[in-house]
Order: sequence, then structure tokens, then C-alpha cells
Amino acid sequence: MKRVILVADDSPTIRKFVSVALTVKGYEIITCSDGMEALEKLPANKVDLLLTDLNMPNVDGYQLIASVRNNSEFKDLPIIILSSLGNNEDIQRGLECGANSYLIKPFDPKRVLYEVSKYLN
Amino acid sequence: MDNQSNMEQVFQKLGDLKQFFVFGQKIVPVFQKIIDFMHDIVPLLENVNNSIHDSTSKIPKAANQINNVTYATEIATSEILDIVDSMATDMTRIKNELIDLRNGFFNQRVALDRFGDELKPLNGTYDSLKSSLCIDDLENKVISLDSIIRKIENDSSNITISLQVQDITAQQLASVNHLIQSVQKRLASLLFDLGKQTEAVLPGLESAGHLDERSFNENAEYDRTGKHQALADNLMNSSKKASQEEIDKLFTK
Repeated sequence: MKRVILVADDSPTIRKFVSVALTVKGYEIITCSDGMEALEKLPANKVDLLLTDLNMPNVDGYQLIASVRNNSEFKDLPIIILSSLGNNEDIQRGLECGANSYLIKPFDPKRVLYEVSKYLN
Repeated sequence: MDNQSNMEQVFQKLGDLKQFFVFGQKIVPVFQKIIDFMHDIVPLLENVNNSIHDSTSKIPKAANQINNVTYATEIATSEILDIVDSMATDMTRIKNELIDLRNGFFNQRVALDRFGDELKPLNGTYDSLKSSLCIDDLENKVISLDSIIRKIENDSSNITISLQVQDITAQQLASVNHLIQSVQKRLASLLFDLGKQTEAVLPGLESAGHLDERSFNENAEYDRTGKHQALADNLMNSSKKASQEEIDKLFTK
């Protein structure tokens, strides 16, 4: 059975990039363009891991992670941040919100695969 | 006595009147200069007003053009990613074919060795057959092809990393668009104050409104040195270490 990954990013390029990198390794990818859409899709699909951007319209990545962590059903869901925000405060804030890993854009597809397999295999 | 007093008052008033006329003579040229200045400045203000109006009306077009650039680069990047994906699929197929070839060469060598062992008297012919089949050379070529394919895979991976520059530039362009829209709003407000336009008909404000939908990091940079990732890794590791320390503390209590 394929493991399901939800990718939340308002950039079509990043959504495509992550889909290409992970589909080839047998993961099923569901994409959405903002945090609000992610919160709608999360309960509707059996999601095994969440990959999320931080700068997104409507509900941003920080709010999305906080909402996910506040839901007992998803409190242990692995969350990986994909962001261009690379300073100390942003990373610290992302991790404090409850993310498990933090990847800075531009990122290596091999690193994404490594982080995903760390939590799913 | 009263007449004298009245005359003195008349003379005093006349003196005041004279001073007023003297002052008037002095002040009239100043007023004239102010009128001349206003005469000159009004067309200039009108010109400024028209320029602001003209600039304000051009801003939505500039903002839309920037948006179009982002959209075009998104499509192009997506197309390139599709090609890279297709190449990766082909590379995987080629790698599988090469594995089959290497297995085939291995089986051929095993079969030949068994053949040579079973038919010892054909020793010379066997060596000649083995050499003409060039199994070792072909196997080396397969190994060489395999390393080339690995290099192509690595290059494809680097292309996909480089393509993420589109996301970074899209964020920078969104930041510029946000700035342009802020300028437009200020200019529109200025036009409103000057009475040139009513807010309801400010040029292009509504049409540029949708540009705000994209969120952005104005400091986004295309940096492949990995220094930011190293910082993130350090913070992740230190946070893990902290939680391990907390666990240890719980057990030592």
C-alpha cells in the first residue's frame, strides 16, 4: 500500500518538483496551494506525512502546523517544512510549532527523499 | 478749542491714511509677485497632477506584466520538470536493461567456463571462441555506460535544484508587485486629495488587486552554499539533544 504525502505550497513549481521527486519512489502525493486547503484535505485522506511551506495565503505554514498539532488525531503526524525562510528565528519558530524537519529552498531532491524515508520507512 | 481738537484728530487720521497708502505702495508689488507666482505655479501643479494620474494608470499594467512573467516562468519550469521526469524514467529503464546485460554476460561466462571444462581437448578453440565473444570488453562498456547514466542522473538532479530558482524569483517579483501596488495606492490617494479623481474611478486599482493573493518572502535568495540548511540542521539536532536531556533528567530523578 502506498504511503500518502500531503504537499502544501502555493508555488506550482515546488509542488511539481516534490511530486516528481517522491512519486518515482512509490509515494502517493496529494497537493494543495494553501494551509486552509491542507486542513480540509488532511482528514479526508489517510495522510502519512505533511510537507508544508511557511509563506502561504489564507492559512500560513505556522498556523497549519499549530492546527495539526492541536488535533489529537494528527499530533504524531510527521511534518517537514520546506521554506525559503532561512534565518535562526524562522527555523526556531517552525520547529517550536511542532515540525519534525526543516528544509531550506532550494533543496536537493535526495535530501527530501532522505527526510521522508526517515519518518515513513 | 473743540475745533482745534477736531482738526488735530483729522490730521492724525490723514497721517494714518498716508502711512496706509505708503504701506500699500510697498505691499502691492509683493501681491503682484504672488499673483505672478500663482499664475506660473498653477499650470505646473496641473502638470504634476496629470503626471501622477498618468503614472497611476500605468502601474496596473506594469504589475500585470510582472505577474505574466511569473506565470510564464512557472509554465516553462513545469515543462522542463516534465522533461526531466521523463528522462529519469528513461534512465531507470536503461539502468534495468544494463543490469540485464551484465547478468547476461555473467551467465555467458559461466556457460563458457562449463563448456571449456567439459571439452578439454578443444582448449585452443575454446580460448579463441572466448576471445572473439569479447565478453570482458562488452562488460566494461556496460560498466562505463552505467557510470555515464549515474552522471546524467546527478545532472538531472542538479537541474531540478536549479529550477527552484523560479520559486525564489517568483517571491521576489511578488515582493516588487506589492511595492508597486503600495506606490499606486499612495498616488491614488494623492490624486483623490488633489480632486482629480474620485476613488470609485481610480485607474486600475481593482484590476491589480488580485496580485496580492500570492504570499512571499521579500528576502528569498537563491543560495546553494547550504549554509542556511546547515543552520537548520544544527537547530534540529540541538532541539533533539535538548529533548534527550529532558528524558535523561526524568530517569535520574
